[in-house]
Amino acid sequence: MISIEGLSKTFDTQRNRPYLAITDIDLKVADGEFVSILGPSGCGKSTLLYIVGGFVPPTTGAVLVDNKPVEGPGPDRGPVFQEFALFPWKTVLGNVMYGLLEQGQKHKDAEARARELLAMVHLSRYADFYPKELSGGMKQRVAICRTLAYRPKILLMDEPFGALDAHTRVRLQNDLLEIWERDRKTVLFVTHSVEEAVFLSDRVMVMTRSPGRIKEVIPIDLPRPRRRAELLVDARYQRYVVDIEKMMENPVDEVAQA
Amino acid sequence: MKALTSIPGVPPLIACFALLVAWEGLARLVGLESLPTAWESLQELPAILRDPRSLYDILSSVRRMVTGFARAALFAIPVGLMMGRSRKVAAFFNPLFMMIYPVPKAALMPIIMLWLGIGDASKTLVIFLGVSLPLIYHTYQGSKAVGEKLLWSGAAMGMSKREQLLRIVLPAAMPEIMVGCRTGLVLALITMVTSEMIVRQAGIGNLLFNSLDLAQYSATYATIVIVGVLGFVLDLLFEKARGIIVGWADPVHQIAVGSA
Repeated sequence: MISIEGLSKTFDTQRNRPYLAITDIDLKVADGEFVSILGPSGCGKSTLLYIVGGFVPPTTGAVLVDNKPVEGPGPDRGPVFQEFALFPWKTVLGNVMYGLLEQGQKHKDAEARARELLAMVHLSRYADFYPKELSGGMKQRVAICRTLAYRPKILLMDEPFGALDAHTRVRLQNDLLEIWERDRKTVLFVTHSVEEAVFLSDRVMVMTRSPGRIKEVIPIDLPRPRRRAELLVDARYQRYVVDIEKMMENPVDEVAQA
Repeated sequence: MKALTSIPGVPPLIACFALLVAWEGLARLVGLESLPTAWESLQELPAILRDPRSLYDILSSVRRMVTGFARAALFAIPVGLMMGRSRKVAAFFNPLFMMIYPVPKAALMPIIMLWLGIGDASKTLVIFLGVSLPLIYHTYQGSKAVGEKLLWSGAAMGMSKREQLLRIVLPAAMPEIMVGCRTGLVLALITMVTSEMIVRQAGIGNLLFNSLDLAQYSATYATIVIVGVLGFVLDLLFEKARGIIVGWADPVHQIAVGSA
């Protein structure tokens, strides 16, 4: 379980004027839950994710994973970034194997696991390609495999499909759901697309404009497994999208709920 | 013609030939004793390359160059990598290097000779200095440009800071480091010849200026040709090595004076 308690983050800016990015964040995410963090750009939703990842220290508050405070990055929390961040000097296979070798797995075992993952995302043919030879969608599929390879309990996804075209985006959303429905990892998923958040999540956490606070956490009560074609014509799905979109349009949210 | 120039290796040959023709023509036109024709100069080549004494000169130059270059790489790459990842390290070294960078390294030769004598050590040190600075600069730039997400990806796999420097920053900065090496190679050649101009004991520079003193102009020009060919061959070998080492990189680091 992830437990975020009284979290805030202040950045020192160039002019020495502190900038409050996020504040008063309290959230509990259960094991196997898929939670999206939705908010306008600049609301600090990525910052929140980086703090959970241990990449950025919080200013106040704490993040607990299974009751242990997060003090730095660790293989229990696997990140997937919008910019893929593949190792360009490694082949597709080398990238996916990297974390496994890092953890002292035998080369043979690491390769078997990597090939299995690549097969799952239909990239077996590209095992020996370098990242520069791949399209954006393929790169992100490799990046997801690279993270899944070392079996993190929690996936931290930072607008993973934000840099992709609409068609590829839909494909990867479907792929991700399929993977998730199979092994039910805990997922924190940052996005600014309402449809994406509703389609994927168990709960959607909507954030306010900067400084980012929690505006509302909405449980998405839609049956699983979810199929895109069925969902798009489902009135409940449409209701969620419309409601959340309205919530995001409304800028009168500077006052924290007392 | 179009088909011919598209064969790799043909355009440089055409360029070389054109240069030789221009030289030959100019020399004939001017008719100066100190500007022998291309043909006269090239005829000196076999004699120089067969003479053990001059071969020794050439080889000792190359040996010093390789030593100086290798030591510079061993020093400059770690320093540059650390500068790129730590503001404190950068703040310490940057002013130091910016002061030394514009000083012509050969101008330091007289002082260095006072410390280290006129032997190999002085000349190797000058080459070392000449190669180090551009190599530090490029390594620094490359290291600074490594994205934090790349490092975070490694950190999440359990890599320590030290491992990240060696296994993420170093390979990720490699294309830029190779650009520095390329500049360093040219500077190694230049500092090698100039250091030998000042300390004329052995080496290609020695060969060059001895023939000049004796007014053997065609031999002087032949030596210049040897230096040029040496540079060309080293560059060719370097490009081959670069293709193997950083073939994975986007070709944004293509250098203007590319060969092959």
